[in-house]
Amino acid sequence: MDLAPRRSVSPDQRFLGVLDTSPFRIAIVYSIVFACGAAVLLGAVDFAVSQVVDGSTDNLIEAEVQGLREQVLVLSRGDFIELIEQRSQDQDVRGAVYLMVDPQLRPVAGNVPAWPKIAANEGKWIQFKVQVPFGDETREHEMRAQRFPLPGGYRMLVGHDVQERQDVKNLMMRGLIAAVVLTLLMGLGGGFWMGRRILAQAGAISAVATQIMRGDLSQRLPVRQADDEINTLAREINSMLDKIEQLTLGMRTVLDSAAHDLRTPLNRLQATAEGAINQLLPGSVERRVLERVTTEVEHMRSTLDALLRIALAETGTVAREPVDLSELVGSMVELYAPVGEERGILLESAVAAGARVQGSRQLLAQALANLLDNAIKFTPDGGHIRVLLRGTATEPEVVVEDNGPGIPADKREIVLGRRVRLDEARKFPGSGLGLSLVAAVTKLHGARLVLDDAAPGLRVSLKF
Amino acid sequence: MHILIVEDDQVARDYLAKALRDVGHTVDVATNGLDGLQMASSMSVDLAIVDRMLPKLDGLALVQSLRATGRKMPVLILSALGDVDDRITGLRAGGDDYLTKPYHMSELLARIDALARRGDSGNAESNTKLKLADLELDRMTRRVTRNGKKIELTAREFQLLEFMMRHSGQVVTRTMLLEGVWDYHFDPQTNVIDVHISRLRQAIDKDFDKPLLHTVRGAGYSLREDE
Repeated sequence: MDLAPRRSVSPDQRFLGVLDTSPFRIAIVYSIVFACGAAVLLGAVDFAVSQVVDGSTDNLIEAEVQGLREQVLVLSRGDFIELIEQRSQDQDVRGAVYLMVDPQLRPVAGNVPAWPKIAANEGKWIQFKVQVPFGDETREHEMRAQRFPLPGGYRMLVGHDVQERQDVKNLMMRGLIAAVVLTLLMGLGGGFWMGRRILAQAGAISAVATQIMRGDLSQRLPVRQADDEINTLAREINSMLDKIEQLTLGMRTVLDSAAHDLRTPLNRLQATAEGAINQLLPGSVERRVLERVTTEVEHMRSTLDALLRIALAETGTVAREPVDLSELVGSMVELYAPVGEERGILLESAVAAGARVQGSRQLLAQALANLLDNAIKFTPDGGHIRVLLRGTATEPEVVVEDNGPGIPADKREIVLGRRVRLDEARKFPGSGLGLSLVAAVTKLHGARLVLDDAAPGLRVSLKF
Repeated sequence: MHILIVEDDQVARDYLAKALRDVGHTVDVATNGLDGLQMASSMSVDLAIVDRMLPKLDGLALVQSLRATGRKMPVLILSALGDVDDRITGLRAGGDDYLTKPYHMSELLARIDALARRGDSGNAESNTKLKLADLELDRMTRRVTRNGKKIELTAREFQLLEFMMRHSGQVVTRTMLLEGVWDYHFDPQTNVIDVHISRLRQAIDKDFDKPLLHTVRGAGYSLREDE
């Protein structure tokens, strides 16, 4: 049986707790959405930019190809070579590349060292890399070009250095990745911060709620200045608590005055009768009558006590404290076992240690006493009663089982009502409030009361 | 013993005063809380019986004021309220015992005796050895002997005997036992205490000529040496 209560919260659990909060989860979802958005946006920009830049480069090359095709028709080979050389040197057209090769693909003119060995049809776009001097070193630059034939088996290549464009693209890609990562990180960070805030607020609220459930109705939820949902909710719950407190206080006042107005005359009656008894001779008729009166007062008192305790339990205005249920059940069994033994009834028990509940020790004791009283009352001489405490430390179950006549299934609901005594029970003494008090006390402690067939006999279970 | 009764209900007050005088106490009465506080503070009162709901000054406030001014006499609170928590509130306010109306005079007298005794034998709590006639109880070794002969008791029987010995010579009621030994304040429908007492009686009186544990008819039990 697992009776280890979980109490303290380690920093690890608190950290994991934040991961479990809804703001953190929402933040994760939103950061992913935003990251995807950023990616799509940057992708679109990149695409648009490439379209424009690539398009303008390609147009430039195509125009140059067109111009050279026309020039080659009107110029002599020597002039054409000179033209190519001239254009190759021309610093105004930055990045333009030219190469004219003879039928053996040996360079004749131009600023590209060698004919790229790429199997592509003339007129198609090709991409190739060329070593370009860059200060004291050389750098490999990406080139984009078109090739076309010249008369006499010569061939021509016209292209453009697109390295810069590639660099821009790479930069944009890096920027895009950085933006996505940053969005994710900021989202996670923000979510974590919000989660901690919510957790702190929720923690404060649940601490107060626990105290309120213990019966301290004067507690209120903490409210901050802000007008957010949590504070609004807390304010509304607080005004609801005000109302509940007022109502219960009102009920308590009514109960107290009812108690006072009944106990005071009963006390007078008791005092008057007792006072008169002492003046009378033992055995006289008058004395016997007055003794009857005091017996009845005693009976009324015990009924009144039971009714008041039921009413108190039902209004829930009883102070609550931690109750060691294991100790309580053990000591009640110990208290009642000899009573059973007088009639040869065996009172067995199996009580798990360490069970604790929040509540009223005295009311729980009274409820258990009523159950044991009943069990002993209805169990035949020589019978047996079993009392069990089982379940977990925080959710224990108390079972009282006898082998008496039991309660028929269709009457189990009814006996929990007030002052119900089944016909079969009329020959036994009692006020008929015993089980109603058990029911009220069970409810006060948030427990469940179940009457069941112990075949034969009655099984009463209180599940906390 | 000088006893002050603060009670607004005349019938209850008169009967209480008469019953206390009958058993030999000196009695003064107050009919409201303010008078009660004034009398309790100005006179040498050995014990006060205070009703919880009083005109002018509430019974609990009276007891609190008394304690605040350093008055240490035992106070028994009488209450006509619901009970359960009221008892705790009463004791927290400084009451020494708490009795709910209607009560039997025998119950009240027994409790007053117990309170008075607690006042004048303050070291009874710390005594490790209790003795009555040839019955001895050692709280340290948890050993009980009668006429030198060891008596075997269960843990609860030991507690019960210890309680009875600490109140030896007085009447101890069933509710006092249930409160003092078991710490329960409810109303047992059956004779639970009687059964436990009869077991204790078996253990300590059965093999001896002089019984020590006596039943006091209509009141409770008493552990005493009969002359």
